[in-house]
Amino acid sequence: MKNSVKKLFIVIFVIFSIFVAGCLQSNQTSENSAPINLVKMSGQEMIQKLGTGEIAGFIMWEPYPAIAVTKGLGKDLILSGKIWKDHPCCVIAYDEDWYKSTNNSDEILKRMALAQLKSVEYINNAKQSDSPDHEELINYTMQFGGMTDPAAANLSLADVEFVYNTNIPGTTTFIKNIQDFGIFDMGKWNQSGYKNASDYANSLVTNNYVDWAINNKDADFSGISLQEPVNVRYGYLINDIHELPFYIGWQKGYYKNLGINISIGEGAPFQNGAFEMQKGFKSNTIDIGSLGIPPVIIHRINSNDFSTDDARVGVIAGMNNEGSVIVVSNNITSLKDLSGKTVGYPGPGTIQHVLFLMAAEKEGLRVSN
Amino acid sequence: MGRLVLESVTKKFNSFQALENVSFEVADGEFVCLLGPSGCGKTTVLRLAAGLEAPMGGNLLLDGNKIEGVNKECGFVFQEYALFPWRTVKENIEFGPQAKGLNKNECDRISKHYIDLVGLNGFENHYPKELSGGMKQRVGIARAYANNPKLLLMDEPFGALDAQTRNLMQGELLRIWEKEHISVLFVTHSVDEAVFLGDKVVVMSARPGKVKEIFDVKLPRPRIRTSLEANIIRDKVLKSLGMEIKLAMKDQ
Amino acid sequence: MKIGEKKKEVVINLLSLVGFVLLWQIILILTREGIFSIPFIRLRDIPTPVETWHALIGSMFTRIYGPSLTYGIYNHVFASLERVIEGGIIAFIIGVPVGIGVGYSRIIGNIFNPIIEIVRNMPPMAWIPIAIFIFVSGGSIFIVFIGVVFPIILNTIQGVRSTDERLLDAARTLGASESKIVTKVIIPSAFPSIMTGLRIGLGVGWMAIVAAEMVIRSPVGLGYFIWNMGDLGRYSEMIAGMIVIGVIGYIMNISILLLQRRFIKWED
Repeated sequence: MKNSVKKLFIVIFVIFSIFVAGCLQSNQTSENSAPINLVKMSGQEMIQKLGTGEIAGFIMWEPYPAIAVTKGLGKDLILSGKIWKDHPCCVIAYDEDWYKSTNNSDEILKRMALAQLKSVEYINNAKQSDSPDHEELINYTMQFGGMTDPAAANLSLADVEFVYNTNIPGTTTFIKNIQDFGIFDMGKWNQSGYKNASDYANSLVTNNYVDWAINNKDADFSGISLQEPVNVRYGYLINDIHELPFYIGWQKGYYKNLGINISIGEGAPFQNGAFEMQKGFKSNTIDIGSLGIPPVIIHRINSNDFSTDDARVGVIAGMNNEGSVIVVSNNITSLKDLSGKTVGYPGPGTIQHVLFLMAAEKEGLRVSN
Repeated sequence: MGRLVLESVTKKFNSFQALENVSFEVADGEFVCLLGPSGCGKTTVLRLAAGLEAPMGGNLLLDGNKIEGVNKECGFVFQEYALFPWRTVKENIEFGPQAKGLNKNECDRISKHYIDLVGLNGFENHYPKELSGGMKQRVGIARAYANNPKLLLMDEPFGALDAQTRNLMQGELLRIWEKEHISVLFVTHSVDEAVFLGDKVVVMSARPGKVKEIFDVKLPRPRIRTSLEANIIRDKVLKSLGMEIKLAMKDQ
Repeated sequence: MKIGEKKKEVVINLLSLVGFVLLWQIILILTREGIFSIPFIRLRDIPTPVETWHALIGSMFTRIYGPSLTYGIYNHVFASLERVIEGGIIAFIIGVPVGIGVGYSRIIGNIFNPIIEIVRNMPPMAWIPIAIFIFVSGGSIFIVFIGVVFPIILNTIQGVRSTDERLLDAARTLGASESKIVTKVIIPSAFPSIMTGLRIGLGVGWMAIVAAEMVIRSPVGLGYFIWNMGDLGRYSEMIAGMIVIGVIGYIMNISILLLQRRFIKWED
């Protein structure tokens, strides 16, 4: 009995000293420059906690930055276009399993791209304050983004660049960054067999559908609609103004006119792209969806089972460029001021996560996540 | 000093008449044994004398003072020892002196004296679980004595011991009693024990508990268990008690 | 003879662990070869023991990739333990006096019992939403507190109430006042129960902290770690984190048990 107690004390002592060592180690890194602590939370929480001072700032998709700013809780510190001009953001992606098991999947994808093109053109016209559609657009924006203040809707629209084209060089840059930031599971990356970032980007993104859409953008709907209306289970992110083109196309009937019935997939709208990838695409409850390009890049590697390729998705069109903002409380003037403070973000592996790391890298700062 | 007087004491538990008109006396320095069938209220008498229960009628007097509330001038020795298991032998004996607020030196002196008296030298720092039944009861007796009581109340203190140890402990108890010489009220269901120990044997009857007969045991000490005189008294007591036991069994 | 049997038991225990790990590996190999499957469960997503081991070693210490600093499991374990210990201490300081009061006095019991009986049936997880809103910081410590305090209170009450009546009588006849009876008889007698309450409570608290960390987000903590790894699709790190949680909980339980045996020498 006494012996075992002695042994126990030795074990406890050893464990304790390892803890102390671990602590000292982490303290050492923080002495040089305390890392900025990224903490996952929902957009609602970000606004609430910025107000109470629990967080010094957040990086989030519109409309949350616009809401926080119009409420006077904080200010824009860095627009994501300042971190990386014209960076790709949300995209339209399809599930490979759905693609293989559906007869006319290519035709459906073409129409999805066209509807996207129509929506983007509508938004870009209506964005002008003198446009006759402006008020309607503001109403759609407030509905989709869960906003009550037209000023916030205007502000959030101004920060987002709506697009439909795909962006292979931008995707390649994202893949490189994700690799450099240690987000890939390298064992899985090796299993995937991609030679390098651009090889992976080329396998991920397809231009054909957007090309077809551009060629047919002035065609009569009745000429190019699908004969048999098809049902598509669609996934999207909650209150994300980046994905406004989807909402416009759905509300204004662009999909329906092209013969596509949109139904909202199980679990949608999602809190972030990681959920959409794992709960939707991976388990085949989503056929097509819009989400940030980084979750697509990460999950097609990390959570993929390469013998069935269950997390394999393809990108057919863009949704938007830029459109995320680092919002900070009013006493913060630079990213450096955030050192040692807590910053909200929508979760690991989201576009906001990657963008924040890129911004920190420029300034030589550390980010713990 | 240490004269306990019971004057027509009555006690009821709900509707159960535990004691009815119980009267007897423990004279100063006297050793009185209380004998009776189970359920006759022997233990109740002790608890009343200790002030752990209050009587419903009649009086209990210790040196002429009515016993009200817990009687701090008595020492209680329990059948199952009731030692504090988290206290060592020494600490158990010091419980009373400590409760009185005596300082450490006095406590030490008292515990040393009674450890010597009951012959537990070398076991001061043992916990109760490390002791045999006989040793535990030595601690129980020492603890009761350490409080310097006028009256010792013993509730079948040797009932849980084997016959050998029991005889030994009876001798020990008499040795200590002769040295300290305070009054003892000793509950037992063994006629042998009562006759061997007591100056007086009070036989009680059950349902309700009453004093049936009181025997004076005028035998010289040290007593011999098998002496003729002892046998004669034992016989009388047994007869008196035997009828009671039969009655009690019939009731059941 | 006795030592031999002890050794035998240890060998059987180790063999069972090894057997479980082997079974895990075999099932996954069969699954990945397409021989074995269970409907509605994606067994293929579960990492093998070997992958899990590599993930455990790989994520043990803090890793730095450019601007990104990922805390090691050590930091997460330490942060979680700190919260459990802080919550445990607060629960102990509050729970023991309440338990003694309720166990000892019928009046105090009647005052506290209705609250205790209702609140103790609310699982710690049910407190998470309100903890998010009302606590500026330390919400997860509060969740631990809720998990720990009721086992301590209930075991203390039980310990106080099961104090041997004869010991109370003995103390009374030895001249102890009521306050001395509480401090010198009731508390020591209830002490093993209080320790048991603490042990059970910390077990509950350890489970609660992981759940609390998943919801009340902070940069470090094991709950946060496994949730983050899940978000990134790094399932082997996730499973490694789960195993660490289990092992730490086990060590905690055993440590308190042995400390209890060490410091309560008088108990049978």
